[in-house]
Amino acid sequence: MSEPILDLHNLRKTFGALTATDDVSLTLHPGEIHALIGPNGAGKSTLIKLISGELRPDSGTIRFEGQAIDRLGPAARARLGLARSFQVSAVIPGFTVLENVMLAVQGASGASFRFLRPALRDRALTEPAQFHIAHVGMGTRAHMPAADLSHGERRRLEIAMALALRPRAFLLDEPMAGMGTEGARDLTAILSELRTEAPILLVEHDMDAVFALADRISVLVYGRIIATGTVAEIRASEAVRAAYLGDAA
Amino acid sequence: MTREAALNAALFVALIGTALVAQALGEGFIITLATKAAIFALAGVGLNLVLGYGGLVSFGHAAFFGLGGYATGILASHAMSGVPVATLPFTLNGSTEMLAIWPLAIAASGLAALAIGALSLRTSGVYFIMVTLAFAQMIYYLAISWPAYGGEDGLSFYVRNTFPGLNTFDPIQFFAICAGLLAAALGLVAVLTRSRFGLALRAARQNESRVVAVGIRPYSIRLLAFMLSGMIVGLAGSLYADLNRFVSPAMLSWHMSGEIMVFVILGGVGRLFGPVAGALAYIALEHLLGGVSDYWQALLGLLLLAIVIYAPGGLIGLIAGRRHV
Ligand SMILES: Nc1ncnc2c1ncn2[C@@H]1O[C@H](COP(=O)(O)OP(=O)(O)O)[C@@H](O)[C@H]1O
Ligand SMILES: [Mg+2]
Repeated sequence: MSEPILDLHNLRKTFGALTATDDVSLTLHPGEIHALIGPNGAGKSTLIKLISGELRPDSGTIRFEGQAIDRLGPAARARLGLARSFQVSAVIPGFTVLENVMLAVQGASGASFRFLRPALRDRALTEPAQFHIAHVGMGTRAHMPAADLSHGERRRLEIAMALALRPRAFLLDEPMAGMGTEGARDLTAILSELRTEAPILLVEHDMDAVFALADRISVLVYGRIIATGTVAEIRASEAVRAAYLGDAA
Repeated sequence: MTREAALNAALFVALIGTALVAQALGEGFIITLATKAAIFALAGVGLNLVLGYGGLVSFGHAAFFGLGGYATGILASHAMSGVPVATLPFTLNGSTEMLAIWPLAIAASGLAALAIGALSLRTSGVYFIMVTLAFAQMIYYLAISWPAYGGEDGLSFYVRNTFPGLNTFDPIQFFAICAGLLAAALGLVAVLTRSRFGLALRAARQNESRVVAVGIRPYSIRLLAFMLSGMIVGLAGSLYADLNRFVSPAMLSWHMSGEIMVFVILGGVGRLFGPVAGALAYIALEHLLGGVSDYWQALLGLLLLAIVIYAPGGLIGLIAGRRHV
């Protein structure tokens, strides 16, 4: 296999007596969607936060495109191209869709200390932003305040923001959460296209989406990866069935 | 023109008009009130940059107001006595020139804001409020216990500082200086808050982790905003010292921090002209009610309460409607 974009090595994170991440090693390769599944409280969001830099591991290392990023803060990691979406939809509610995506373009450009030109007239921000908004099918919503969007639209906006970061890898934490079946189907199509931009580490509860999208699946239980494999392998695994999938599979 | 832009223009015209009418009627006291309103509005515009646009509730902006004032008083009194303010590392002589005093007042308050901001911005929420308050109180007690510049009694400098081509003793001319600087500060804040810098500052107020996730460090954005804010408030303090020809520790006290905050909240948090509306309303209430009753502050308190509960957009929001910022 090719060199991994993202390479987690023996990560461990404890909260007091609780081990939320227990010796996790995992890779993300170019072009792939690697799904991370597991019951509530298994430590999926914690793992995403360790990668994005919001949390620091107790031990273990993270390499991103061959470079150890353990010492970098979350803003620096985002600038390297680690694009993260949040489990709880996170946009700037008082901004329009356009302004939200402009903010992401601005973040990726690394040039926030510009004081004179109105941002809305800065074509280096508006043009890429409009492009990404169109990409997720939100072209007609560009001037709507993010607070007025439907849940599904807000999720799309987040994807547009992630795209604007010119990502080298996506970290998506339950992008389908709270969406109806139709919204979930739409988003599945968008995510499937997204993998050509950059590989995706996908935390998701919607098993239809996971089975439709994932190239590989890792199953996390009590902070430990108990299995990694293709969709077929994971579906067939007795251990996974017992620990997690239950009747769902 | 939007409704808010029309309201903003009307507010500024009201301020200038009040002073001009008072001039025509020979009401010097009213001109002084209008001048005070312009200066308070300027301080509010400075605070609004962090409080309104940045969402940072600083309860210590009296520090910058007072530092601007003391810088002015100290320079003026040294100019009169002929003794240099400092001889090391370089000789700093006193001055009675506003154009020489302002940069020093702005620099002093800006440096203080940089230092205070660098430490207090590591905290957030109620801790931020307390830390900014604590720093301002430290400077307040320093001023009280430093006898060289009047200590508790404050420092008088009797003669208003000068401005080339103008007679600053003439109330309307001094008013013109203050109103001009207010207009400049409003222009500056309007430009800043629409720029990339302003986009990041406003975004960080609403969702800090989102801003981090797009690769922007809110800390450095906020620190710069805090420093600029302190500089504007310091300039207001310098003008206030010149208005009264007197500075005292009261300029540094937490009451002053609260008052500046009141201008912003009364007029409209995060609205460009909020502090102008707030300062005008404050001065008008003080003038109209202060004579009637010593309890006008209680009435002000009730008004503030009503604003916070029923009209978070302040007076501007009441008239011009809600707006997302
Ligand atoms: N900041 C924290 N402090 C203490 N415990 C935490 C913290 N964050 C998560 N946890 C705990 O760690 C475990 C894993 O949480 P999380 O990663 O959110 O799980 P998941 O996303 O898989 O549902 C849970 O038991 C949770 O309560
Ligand atoms: Mg989670």
